[in-house]
Amino acid sequence: MPAGREKSGRFRKVFVKTPGSRNVVHYRESKPSKTICGTCKKPLSGVPRDRPAVMAKVPKTARRPERPYGGVLCSKCTRQLLKDQVRGEAQ
Amino acid sequence: MSLYEIGRVCVKLAGRDAGKRCVVVEQVDKQYVVIDGATRRRKVNINHLEPLAQMLDVKSGSHADVKTAFGKIGVEVLDTKKKESKERPKKQKVIKAKLVAKKETLKAEAKPKPAKKEAKKEEVSESDATEDQEE
Repeated sequence: MPAGREKSGRFRKVFVKTPGSRNVVHYRESKPSKTICGTCKKPLSGVPRDRPAVMAKVPKTARRPERPYGGVLCSKCTRQLLKDQVRGEAQ
Repeated sequence: MSLYEIGRVCVKLAGRDAGKRCVVVEQVDKQYVVIDGATRRRKVNINHLEPLAQMLDVKSGSHADVKTAFGKIGVEVLDTKKKESKERPKKQKVIKAKLVAKKETLKAEAKPKPAKKEAKKEEVSESDATEDQEE
């Protein structure tokens, strides 16, 4: 009988074969969704995807690209934004 | 004449220097130029630059020239320091000195105790000796 927390949908099921050749259901916490660009909604590259507990051990420089709006906007949208800013100043 | 001529002020669009101001210092070929300024001094693709109307007088192309030119506009220039090669500290000596210092401090702190400890040690050594003899 699964425990209440295992039925809530927070966990994903993993079927594990034990040494005694029994199939057992293990419950593991599921990963968060992929990070997406703030404007074009495409998945961001260079942003690892894992549980917060695991991400806490990853250095901060490895969590997002080292550029302005890194980890928020994709590179294409960042370039477009910077271009727009520059051209806006010129006018 | 190319838009990216020497002295053209640009904004870098790509990479970790994105959004920073720079000036074209040297034209490598049609597609590449060398830039300097608030960014690192490096060769870049002109697709990664957004040109501004502003021009600067940097004919010699040296970093000092770029610094003075940007100083007039009020843009801070990135200075990269050259790393000086230092001799490696000799670890063993440091450790030894530290250990000696530690021992001395410990001795100074725990002066009344050692008499008992020594007595105990002597007892232990004696008992050990007797055991050895028995064996």
